[in-house]
Amino acid sequence: MNWNGFLFGASAALALIGGLFAVGLKNIFHNILGFALSLVGVAGLFLTLGSDFLAIVLLLVYVGALGIAMVYAVMLSQPLDTPRTPRSLPKVLGSALLAAVVAMALWLVIRGARFPEWNGVLQVTPQFTGWRLLTDYVLAFELISILLVVAMIGAVMVARRDPAKRRPPAGGGAKAAP
Amino acid sequence: MSWLHAYLLVALLLFCIGLYGLVQRRSLIGMLIALELMLAAVSLNVVAITSLSGSSSSVGQVVALILIGVAAAEGAIALSLFVAIQREVQSINVEDLSELKG
Repeated sequence: MNWNGFLFGASAALALIGGLFAVGLKNIFHNILGFALSLVGVAGLFLTLGSDFLAIVLLLVYVGALGIAMVYAVMLSQPLDTPRTPRSLPKVLGSALLAAVVAMALWLVIRGARFPEWNGVLQVTPQFTGWRLLTDYVLAFELISILLVVAMIGAVMVARRDPAKRRPPAGGGAKAAP
Repeated sequence: MSWLHAYLLVALLLFCIGLYGLVQRRSLIGMLIALELMLAAVSLNVVAITSLSGSSSSVGQVVALILIGVAAAEGAIALSLFVAIQREVQSINVEDLSELKG
């Protein structure tokens, strides 16, 4: 068995099993671990596609940054030991049916589409991608940096506790006392 | 079935797993996880089509990088909103967030 086929099979299995863990398990912390597993699989698929730089960026951003942020959000919001109400069976069946119908429709589209014939994998160097980013796609590059700054400042402002609300209400009462 | 179809099939399955999770979960964080899975499936799709169709431009890489940036920004905003919602409502279950329902 050739090395690329093995890497593809292992990565695809990792991505799909991780995805099933990420939506199927009941504990939200296990969901996050499954999400990280799935994204490791997707990074492996990017490796087999000759996009090493993209695989590393995916690992850094999704598994590293976003996974850690999700763990923080779970710790700040939802206690892990609260009793969970069971999932209603009709809703689970309906969601599965919807996903299956969408999958069938998309698969029919993929089968019907005509793709150009090519059997090799194109190696794209990070230098070439960076050069394209700063010449042809420079507007998108600048816009994405502005979006990231705005999102970061917005996240801080939204999650910050309001300083007016934090002031103890007992201060007014003490001033009213003679 | 060519290699491209194999990649597209994996991306399709990942997308539909994400769709199932997005519809079925009730925890906001669970829904965000499912949404990020769908975004990852889309970027896998784009990269697979550009690298396996023999085009020499790296437009797939650029699109995937931009998608990753958008996903990171979206995740940061969403998680901070969840923390703020938890502080106000004491819950991040979507069934408890029905104040606007008439």
